[in-house]
Amino acid sequence: MKKLVLLLIAFAWTSSSCEKDDICDANTVTTPRLVIDFYDVTNPTVKKTVTNLAIVGEGLTEGILFNGVSQIKVPLNPGADISQYHFILNYQNTNTELIDEDEMKFSYTRKNIYVSRACGFKTLFALNATNPVEQTDSPTAEGLWMKTITVTQPNITNENETHLSISF
Amino acid sequence: MKMKPTFRFLFSLTLVLMAAGMLAQAPKKETPPIKKDTLPVKVSRFGVRVGADLYKLSRSFYDKNYKGLEIVGDYRLTKRYYIAGELGNENKTVEDDRLAFNTKGTYFKAGFDYNLYDNWLDMENMVYVGMRYGVSSFSQTLNSYSIYNRYPYFGAEPTIIAGEKFNGLSAQWIEVVAGVKAKVINNFYVGFSFRVNKLVANKRPTNFDNLYIPGFNRTYEGTFGAGFNYSVSYFIPLYKKKDLLPAVAPKKKK
Repeated sequence: MKKLVLLLIAFAWTSSSCEKDDICDANTVTTPRLVIDFYDVTNPTVKKTVTNLAIVGEGLTEGILFNGVSQIKVPLNPGADISQYHFILNYQNTNTELIDEDEMKFSYTRKNIYVSRACGFKTLFALNATNPVEQTDSPTAEGLWMKTITVTQPNITNENETHLSISF
Repeated sequence: MKMKPTFRFLFSLTLVLMAAGMLAQAPKKETPPIKKDTLPVKVSRFGVRVGADLYKLSRSFYDKNYKGLEIVGDYRLTKRYYIAGELGNENKTVEDDRLAFNTKGTYFKAGFDYNLYDNWLDMENMVYVGMRYGVSSFSQTLNSYSIYNRYPYFGAEPTIIAGEKFNGLSAQWIEVVAGVKAKVINNFYVGFSFRVNKLVANKRPTNFDNLYIPGFNRTYEGTFGAGFNYSVSYFIPLYKKKDLLPAVAPKKKK
């Protein structure tokens, strides 16, 4: 009997001490970013890398810089139905003539989906069927550097597929 | 959840009470005068035992996020087998880092206990194992949640106040029980038990999950769970029966 009681006490201690499983695993798919692939406008099947592309959110000062990549991941705002960015090519280049800035406005609908106790919820986006992306040449009219923008996957549920294809 | 002080207190109290109960009974064993060539006749009492889970009851007072009551009962069927069950109601609010919700509902568990302990003479203690089948019917309210965003470029998301209610939820599970019951004073028993649960059916709400099930307790990634109960119960004797094998008693007396 004594042995059994000791066993029960031991069981109680072990089961009460190993409970902290409340950390959201890094491999869990949570709120995805918008995945954009860049293509060569003269040869639309060939991917093209961007040189010092800075994307700066509207009203924000700090941007995200991409260099030498043909694919970028853009965080969308889960708190609003639009996300506005300045896409600046050749950011802070000494030759100011090379700097080209286009304004991008992504419009979408949002859905909050339950993930788990540790991760809480995630937001999934679906680009609007009409005017999913609005491109304007600002602040100076130096011409649009992105020539064509095609929606390849309007439902943004993960980062494993390309949502937008842009050629320049 | 580390063992809370009150929990620890109750736990020690059980052990102390149990020890006291056993000590108090110890001298009795030697008192009946045994005539030579006759063996003492062991008489077992049969009846119904009803009680309450003090752990749930006391927790309702110190934990503002918890209200619960559990009535426990068993009926002695044979020398070692007891039909056992629990009936309870719980109202639990959980405030996790990313989620806050409330679960409330009623549950019922039925099954058996098997006493492993060989009692001396008129002792009626139990060291038992058993099984239960549990059924719970409950509702949930998702109070608030936050969005998990690994790249909060536009700033951290504020917590979303939801207040969404999910009715008509249910779950069923199997429990394996191991516990102890000791007679402290006439017909009063104190005991505790540990339970390992495995879900067999779980009706989840859409776009949320049953993170707490009344009677089952917290759920984990898989289907397993765990429980504990600390009960005080009263035995209502119905009839007595002589044991068929009284020879067991002297063999034990060394």
